[in-house]
Amino acid sequence: MSDKQYSVKDYYCKHTTRCSSETIKDSKRFVGQDILKADAEDKVTGKAVYANDITFDDMLYLKVKRAVHPHAILKDIDTSKAKKVKGVVDIFTAEDIPDLRKFGLIIRDQPVLVALGKTMRYLGDALAVVAAESIEAAKKAVDLIEVKIEELEVITDPFRAMEADAVNIHPDGNILITHNLETGDVEAGFAESDIIVERKYQTQFIDQLPMQNEAGTAFYDERKGRVNIWAATQWLHDIQADVAQSLRLAKDQIRIIQPTIGGAFGKKEDVSVHIHLAIAAMRTGRPVKLTFSREESMITQSKRHPITIINKTGVSSDGYLKAWQTKFIGDTGAYASSGPAVVHKGMYHATGPYNVENIKGISHAVYTNNTYAGAMRGFGTTQGAFAYESQMDIMAHELKMDPAEFRQKNIYQLGSCTPNGQRLNHSVNAEETIKKVMELSGWKGGK
Amino acid sequence: MQIKFKVNGEAREIEVTPFHRLLDLLREDLGLTGVKEGCGKGECGACSVIMNGRLIPSCLVPAPQADGAEIITIEGLAEGNSLHPLQEAFIETGAVQCGFCIPGMIMAGKNLLDENPSPNEKEVRTALSGNICRCTGYTKIIEAVMLAADKMDSKGSGSDE
Repeated sequence: MSDKQYSVKDYYCKHTTRCSSETIKDSKRFVGQDILKADAEDKVTGKAVYANDITFDDMLYLKVKRAVHPHAILKDIDTSKAKKVKGVVDIFTAEDIPDLRKFGLIIRDQPVLVALGKTMRYLGDALAVVAAESIEAAKKAVDLIEVKIEELEVITDPFRAMEADAVNIHPDGNILITHNLETGDVEAGFAESDIIVERKYQTQFIDQLPMQNEAGTAFYDERKGRVNIWAATQWLHDIQADVAQSLRLAKDQIRIIQPTIGGAFGKKEDVSVHIHLAIAAMRTGRPVKLTFSREESMITQSKRHPITIINKTGVSSDGYLKAWQTKFIGDTGAYASSGPAVVHKGMYHATGPYNVENIKGISHAVYTNNTYAGAMRGFGTTQGAFAYESQMDIMAHELKMDPAEFRQKNIYQLGSCTPNGQRLNHSVNAEETIKKVMELSGWKGGK
Repeated sequence: MQIKFKVNGEAREIEVTPFHRLLDLLREDLGLTGVKEGCGKGECGACSVIMNGRLIPSCLVPAPQADGAEIITIEGLAEGNSLHPLQEAFIETGAVQCGFCIPGMIMAGKNLLDENPSPNEKEVRTALSGNICRCTGYTKIIEAVMLAADKMDSKGSGSDE
């Protein structure tokens, strides 16, 4: 046909029924306009319904008995005293639901309830669930559940976890997943470098801390054979599928209804209250509610990965990056969650928005007995950014060069290629961004 | 024990235990679920209500202490279908995202404007310093309270004329 270049807009016109270029008026309906948030009025009047605001008549309150040790084998669990608490309707452990399957976003490695003889791997693992007429009765019963354990070595450091004599947290070893990255020839790059800088960076656990804790309500519609769950999640259909497979039900037997979400930032990607709610609703035949306290939310649900990053970079005396070698060791905690995707995503962004021809990298996501790490804003790249921007400043200092000038020499341009081979062919505004920052901050240079 | 108090102008009489928090009384017994629990420790401000003219975290107040009190919650601000100027301002400035902190923020804003109808920005920041928001970065929330002060001021002077 013709050698006409198609823009993104043309592609949109040809391949969708909604044509963005038909009426200019329409395309500017939202962009550049002040649009009032659709649900803002409900939120400023207190009418918006979040999961914990839903109540039913005859509803039971759930409380979870959590692990008593971060790494131990469950030898015995005795619920007899707890069952005698006035108002307690049901207490269930793994022994009561023998067919339960594990769950997880990417790798299904997390038990719904830790069974006898099996291992609790962090303080958030569930051992038993109490259903009671009041929250007070449920709390009292949880405190009366007696547990016997056999303690194992508690591993809180991924470097310890990778040592040969460290106890295995999961059967296949403590390195959950390894990724490699290689482009160009990193040794040749170092050989032609005038300055080589090697530094180690450490980031920490961060809780996403949405204002609303995990909460949910559920009831079992026996006539339809369906469990209805009202609970906030960032992955409505994945959670539906995961809850269904863990309970060996068909997907259409699990219905998840999204109430208003009180913030998430990655923390609500994982299953939290859902499976325990479903089991309790089916066992008791009554509506049930499970609300985490802030402590429970912090102990039980995901965190931002602490990542140890080792960057070794080579640069020419005129300020061009020649080689970049990197290693990412991510503490993914007791369970995989999004860890297999987060840590290596960080590594693929190890060089930030800077051109480097010779790159070599390796990443390990490592199990420990810490609270599991998962998704949080940036998904691994924020940790990497702390390391590469620090590295850039240190290199500029070694070169006695203005760090803004050093960055501009190496910054991505149209046509640049990312470490994993993506050619950047549009919207590359990195240099413009640096210039704008210099202008707005009144940058006067520095070495 | 039986307590008597006023919520949003309405007289209520209710049986409570000493273990009840005012937060539970409002949310569970009276269905005022606009009052939110974020931390249960008086740190986040999501459960803020105005009791006897003072902004308080309802998670730290034992329910029996509400005996004889006058309480205003987020549900008590709008008059019929007409929103309070603070509520209008929060919508107009785009101060609302997930919304979970907003009832507490608005109550803190109301408590400020009741005492100081034309605050400067520093006073607004101080008044909201007990309320945590994780979505917005606060800028638009502060703008909203300033805008509400302007709205109420112009209303006030209008009625004087």
